[in-house]
Amino acid sequence: MSGSRTARLLAYAGLAGYALVSLYPFLWMVSGAFKDRLEILRGGGLIPEAPTLATLTSTWSRLHFFDYFLNSLKVTGLTVAGVLVVYSLASYAFAVLDFPGRRALFWMFVSLLFVPGITMLLPVVVLEKHLGILGTHLGLVLPFVNGTAPLTVLLLTNSFRAVPGELRDAARCDGAGDLRIYLSVYLPLARPAHVTVAVLTAVPTWNEYLLSRVSLSDPSRYTLPIGLESLISSEVPRYNEVMAASLIIVLPVVALFLFLQRYFVNGLVGALKG
Amino acid sequence: MSVLTLRERTRKTAAGASGGARRWSSRLTGVAFVLPAVALFLLMGVYTIASGLALSFAKWNGFTPRWIWVGVRNYLDLLYADPVLAAELRRAAGHTLQVMVAVPLLTVAIALPLAVALNSVGRLRAVFRTVYFLPYVTTGIAVYFAWRYVLEPDGAVNLLLRATGLGSLAQPQGFLGNPSTALPTLIVVLVWSSVPVATLLYLSGLQAIDPNLPEAAQLDGAAPRHVLRHVTWPLLRPITAAIVLLGIRDALHGFQVFLVMTRGGPGGHSDVLGLMAYRLSFFKGLAQTLGLASALGWLLFAAALLLTLVNARLLRAVR
Repeated sequence: MSGSRTARLLAYAGLAGYALVSLYPFLWMVSGAFKDRLEILRGGGLIPEAPTLATLTSTWSRLHFFDYFLNSLKVTGLTVAGVLVVYSLASYAFAVLDFPGRRALFWMFVSLLFVPGITMLLPVVVLEKHLGILGTHLGLVLPFVNGTAPLTVLLLTNSFRAVPGELRDAARCDGAGDLRIYLSVYLPLARPAHVTVAVLTAVPTWNEYLLSRVSLSDPSRYTLPIGLESLISSEVPRYNEVMAASLIIVLPVVALFLFLQRYFVNGLVGALKG
Repeated sequence: MSVLTLRERTRKTAAGASGGARRWSSRLTGVAFVLPAVALFLLMGVYTIASGLALSFAKWNGFTPRWIWVGVRNYLDLLYADPVLAAELRRAAGHTLQVMVAVPLLTVAIALPLAVALNSVGRLRAVFRTVYFLPYVTTGIAVYFAWRYVLEPDGAVNLLLRATGLGSLAQPQGFLGNPSTALPTLIVVLVWSSVPVATLLYLSGLQAIDPNLPEAAQLDGAAPRHVLRHVTWPLLRPITAAIVLLGIRDALHGFQVFLVMTRGGPGGHSDVLGLMAYRLSFFKGLAQTLGLASALGWLLFAAALLLTLVNARLLRAVR
């Protein structure tokens, strides 16, 4: 019996140890965000000697992070809305409707999963330059929406397939058209999958950096990651401001995660098993 | 209600039997539902893929009105014909290969014990799981800057090493500034960010295992580590395969950590293939490297596809 107690103690020690590793950069992010300019230059310990909110407030207002925050909110919100509308309709069609080319189209969307992002990035930028939307928020939202297609179509089609077909037949007989059936029967039943798709879209979009960086040139359109990048491109980065800005980016995502944890977990496990 | 639906149904079938008109309308409905997705896909997917593929057979700098067609020259230049480019590619490919092997191995080595421990404890499991998951949800430039901050010459990692008497391991130029520690450090950061999903997958796999199996083995006199090795590990093999596959894909596709933390430096000592393609795409000013960038992108695609197929074949053989 004592053997199993030692084992349990060891398990807890290991778990606590890795928890520290997992939190390590976040601890220093918070610490740095509460230090003033002098203290950050001196280095120093994890606990700030004279913790101050001034760095955070000046990053938020003087360094325009409030504006970047609104831009990020706009881009992320539009992307999530676009993904939910466009691919939910399409997945309903893939799951229950019959139309020519259904299987081929479905697999075309899913096979996009194998095309590396870097392969698409350059042609997207070239195309947007032609269309005149490079550097606009629309120019970010369209490729972001398209980029989520494979996973989203997989997840939503599976969730619509799980709805019993009798429900549709019954609604049909009551004279409901497909749009009506989709809105009032299928959508409510597949709501958890939609929340999962929303969170799995929102988080990477909020953090997106590669396309934003090469397309956004007007500072008034910067999203948070690009605002953060502009802080560090100066010769001597002020790490207290950089950490404050990082904290501003990370906090909303962490809050979202804490509230909607089970949707993240179900979504990831479902996506990888599918 | 049921009477009504029954009556409706008979009426509908009677009407529907009359012809294909209804089938046509249902087909049109289907097309209408997928139309927005397909339109976006044609614009952002098909068009970009086709034009990217075409561009890989041309020379262009992004500004001149015309592309100069060069056939497969870009591919040959990258693979061997151009000594400078081919050497750059080979070095980046070597680093990519190291990442591709080291990250999945270390991830499995950390995530599996973590999941087993997590599965064995009753209390605090939810708390630990939440904490472990943070690196995944926050993946991105903010966290990479936090890592840069702690890895600075006067950063927290050096501080910790000096304080614990391991000062000889400290890096006076910073872990990212030293050519011999930059790549290993980035591998550690990559492992740190891929452990969450792997742990979660293993945990869900462990919870799906019939608890009678390990118990029966234990009753037959098997020690816990033997149970882990001969019962649990084989049952988790599909999950391990998924984790390895994800790791390989990320190693080929992902380069954000490298771009944000070292830009491939110092002196190219942490350059990887994705980053090289990004550099050829966007950092070369007026030089005609866009065709090369496209060609490299397609080489990466081919490599990823090949590895996926080999992996699937191996998996089938194992099963």
